[in-house]
Amino acid sequence: MALPLPPGLTPAEVAFLCEMEMVTIVPRQRLDGLELLGGSIPPLQPPRRTDIPLWLALLLKRQNRANIVPPPWLLPASLANILDVETEMTEAFSSPPPLPPSAKGSEPISPPFQPSCTADASAHALPYHWLEVGEVLLDAASDDFEEPDLVRRLIRDIREVRLSKLRAGVEVLDAGGGVQMNGVGGLEVAEGRAFIGGVIDNLRKLGASKEQTRKEREAEEERNGYSGAGADDYDDDMEL
Amino acid sequence: MDIDISDILASVSPPSVSPSLLDLQSLTRAFIAERVAPSLLPYPSALMTRVLARIAAQIELVEHETGKVDPRANFRLVVLQTEVERWKYLVRALLRARIAKLADYPLFYLEDAEVSGRLSAAERQYLGARQGLLGEHYAVAFLGQFPAGLRRLDDASGGVRMVDRPDEEAAVFVRCLRDIGPVRVEGTDTEADMRRGDVWVMRWSVVREWWENGDVELI
Repeated sequence: MALPLPPGLTPAEVAFLCEMEMVTIVPRQRLDGLELLGGSIPPLQPPRRTDIPLWLALLLKRQNRANIVPPPWLLPASLANILDVETEMTEAFSSPPPLPPSAKGSEPISPPFQPSCTADASAHALPYHWLEVGEVLLDAASDDFEEPDLVRRLIRDIREVRLSKLRAGVEVLDAGGGVQMNGVGGLEVAEGRAFIGGVIDNLRKLGASKEQTRKEREAEEERNGYSGAGADDYDDDMEL
Repeated sequence: MDIDISDILASVSPPSVSPSLLDLQSLTRAFIAERVAPSLLPYPSALMTRVLARIAAQIELVEHETGKVDPRANFRLVVLQTEVERWKYLVRALLRARIAKLADYPLFYLEDAEVSGRLSAAERQYLGARQGLLGEHYAVAFLGQFPAGLRRLDDASGGVRMVDRPDEEAAVFVRCLRDIGPVRVEGTDTEADMRRGDVWVMRWSVVREWWENGDVELI
């Protein structure tokens, strides 16, 4: 009954989440509008482009009722550009599409609900679920791509470059955490979580007593009104 | 420059998002958060009541329409059912992830009033019954043969507590949904300037407060 899985998302769960991304389709058949739990689907009328969730697009595609329009960033030219940027930036991932503006007081929208895989998405930024959406589309709708093999190869190249950054980033891990990973993808988080989290947690456990002492000292200084600069003097005094 | 532009956009065109989609987003976030957070999170009771009622209504609609044998309506039903199954999967996975945490640290979630407040009524009942059965079984199987003073499962004498607790300091991945500003991890040199849209690996104990306010989401 209890979920027999370790904490953190499995690749299958990430794939499930990526299917909530909106994609653009060109319907081949009419279909009346639908009231779904997650919002309404407008009536489908060929050949009018419509944005629908990926899971529904895959269902329609499988039954040959629609074609899927690959998002602009999944075109060979955009991927080649992104690959160049990824190769040039050795420290960080290329920047993701910015979060959409949200009305004051309302819940901010974030992936997979941020529309970043539709036909009018940005061509220069890899969205959070880039790898998953790319793989799923190449698998289920490769005939909607002009050069599926080229796209597949570019995706693999980008993945290699990013994986090597993820591996190189291991050196900056320390007990406090505080690692910035802007632009990281959903599947990359799922893959790296166990290792990155494990390293940080174990470093923390190793340094736990030292950290505790420092915490107490800082609390003491806070009470006595010492400033941050005073803390260093205090250290020196101790050594003398 | 980019930031200035997005600020202007924010003031001009707040996007209109349907409440149904917001519910789906909240449910998805609750599921992800429960799967990756080290300790049990508060039960999202308002959201769950709403979601369960809507799933039930949708199932009723599907059952009602199954009677009609129009082949055209047939595919619509397939779509409706597929979506209902996706929602049911999310709900089920969320609840199962919670039960897994309860099973890992049963005594911890039972004894502390603040912590047990995160459980729903059904979960509290389940955990109480489970722990009752387990305690009885332990007593019959082996605890009964111990000296009376050594039979407790929640002994705290000698400064060491027997009750295991989840690691609240574990590292988690978060995405900032609003600007937070500089953050310092006490007792370490770690400092972070957390801005909207950033992804950070931080200690759960450090970011928990912002998660409760909805300023960050777990990923």
